[in-house]
Amino acid sequence: MNRFFGEETAVIIGLGEHRVGTYPMGTIGLGSCVALILHDQRRSLAGLAHIMLPESRGNTDRPGKFADTATSVLLEEMAKLGSTRLSITAIIVGGASMFEYSANSLNIGERNTATVKELLRTHGIRIEYEETGGKIGRSVYYWPEKGRLIVKRADGTCTEV
Amino acid sequence: MELDPIQIDALAEFGNIGAAHAATSLSQMLMSPIEMTVPEVQAVDIAEMHNYIGSEISAMVVFQIQGEVADGGYIVVSMPRETVIQLTNLMLGTTDPDREINEMDQSAAIEIGNIMISAFLDATAELLGIVMLPSPPALAIDMAHAAFESIVAQLAYDVNDVLIFNTELTSEAPPVYGSIYMLPNADLMQQLFLMLKRLMEPLA
Repeated sequence: MNRFFGEETAVIIGLGEHRVGTYPMGTIGLGSCVALILHDQRRSLAGLAHIMLPESRGNTDRPGKFADTATSVLLEEMAKLGSTRLSITAIIVGGASMFEYSANSLNIGERNTATVKELLRTHGIRIEYEETGGKIGRSVYYWPEKGRLIVKRADGTCTEV
Repeated sequence: MELDPIQIDALAEFGNIGAAHAATSLSQMLMSPIEMTVPEVQAVDIAEMHNYIGSEISAMVVFQIQGEVADGGYIVVSMPRETVIQLTNLMLGTTDPDREINEMDQSAAIEIGNIMISAFLDATAELLGIVMLPSPPALAIDMAHAAFESIVAQLAYDVNDVLIFNTELTSEAPPVYGSIYMLPNADLMQQLFLMLKRLMEPLA
């Protein structure tokens, strides 16, 4: 368990992991992966998944790894804690194309983003904030209690929402 | 992925030979001695990647391993920004060490990566008697973990850990620092073990 910004309870969500809780969460060094944050403002509750690939095609052992299973598992776990679909909004960050001079499969970011957005549309979840695409790595920090989001980019710039 | 000590040794030895040749080619380019650390081989769980590959800004030149092993995995040459500028300055005879990375630096990084990894794969292919070629290089100058995510995404669809071979190269004058990573996929690993096992069999 890592710490960031001096927060004792903060959790870093690794590649393919997901968590639901009220504690601060973050992911470090997002490239082609997408950080999907589902947030229930009424309960100061949030879920974060560090999504690596668009489709699970039957893989179920790490639901956070794929866009389809990640979206379902976050919604399920939040529903168990009392959230309803109407009270949940989404934040998506990441999905960059990291490599120049590369026309090949390394640039999976766009497909990750498109799949997550399509899934959110199907589930009827509004996207509150989105910062996707581009050619830049990002780190994401989220505090469910205040709904505070910080996106830190590889070029040193920072956005707080 | 459970690895027995022999498998770890085999991969370490394989990478060691490749990395030594890559270091020699770098040493020839810089006309200075290069130190190489003892290689490490680890199976890293993807959820733990951020503890292994940090988020500091680096220049990463990435090659896919091709040839007789189709899509064998990836090799990465990673250098801090200062090293890239240092290397460009050396090659072009310029001096300014405190500038932003420019297009010339990008070409230099790619070219150096190309020379090193060609030497790496030539040597290892000769050892095993199969042809391995680097794909055209891809470049990212960004958070290291962010660039590795794309590679891991290609290797870890069915599995939750990746094998990482890593060795570090340093030179004191000029002050240059870099790492070579190799991430073989399961097929290539299998092939490597078989070939190395054959090499280690006593002569009958």
